[in-house]
Amino acid sequence: MKGMTIIVKTISSWVKVLIFLFGIYIILFGHLTPGGGFAGGVILASSYVLLMLAFGREFAEKNLSLPVASKLDCAGAFAFAVIAILGLVLGGSFFVNFLYQKYLPGQALNLISAGTIPLLNIAIGLKVAASLFLVILTLSIFKPDISANKKEQN
Amino acid sequence: MPYALCFLLFVIGLYCAVVKKNMVKIVIGIMIMEYAVNLFLIMLGYRIGGIAPIIDKGALKPGTEQLTAAFLNTSVDPLPQALVLTAIVISLGSLALMISICIRTYERYGTFDITKIRRLRG
Repeated sequence: MKGMTIIVKTISSWVKVLIFLFGIYIILFGHLTPGGGFAGGVILASSYVLLMLAFGREFAEKNLSLPVASKLDCAGAFAFAVIAILGLVLGGSFFVNFLYQKYLPGQALNLISAGTIPLLNIAIGLKVAASLFLVILTLSIFKPDISANKKEQN
Repeated sequence: MPYALCFLLFVIGLYCAVVKKNMVKIVIGIMIMEYAVNLFLIMLGYRIGGIAPIIDKGALKPGTEQLTAAFLNTSVDPLPQALVLTAIVISLGSLALMISICIRTYERYGTFDITKIRRLRG
């Protein structure tokens, strides 16, 4: 479980930064181009999965530990809910795009446009990246220990 | 005809989920069924010769934020695509749940064969 060979480690230590940046790009431009919170979050999580495959689970867990990932997960869901309820408070209805109606009219196709949709994309991206990393990390913890288990039951 | 092929894919997944005895193959069959339904929903919104529903400078009337009629008449329906994206997210979650159930069962029984997993153990 100490990871793969030196070739895989070197290449993945270069490529993981590019994958992470591409995920951030997909999230931030989610309201203009194809992509968005979910796709970008999956790409962000896949950079950590690459780290986990190349360097072993302990290295990835040292980089982004389980409690921190869990807190990021909860923070993404909390931010999404807060933005949705702010629409209810400020705009009169759930998920109302209150920023677009009051502060940002008439700026279509810019990076800073579309009101709350980029913020929702960022929240979803945080949530999906953290939770998908948690899923794969939790599945990788499993170690088959059949013989001890059978001995205990018989 | 494409809808019939979609249904055929769904039936293949159903066959795999019902007949096979390996738990991992059952999970694969369930995922094939989900992808068949996703494909069906995507094809409902398709239009022959349509373009992707991505708004750029050419799709807006100059000076305003209104979509041009040409864009509206040629682009495919984006609503099933958004629905299928949500369905993909949910199928990812259910896939993780099924895989973890398989792992737990293998840890407990030492086999994936569902005909050998019969005894209740607490």
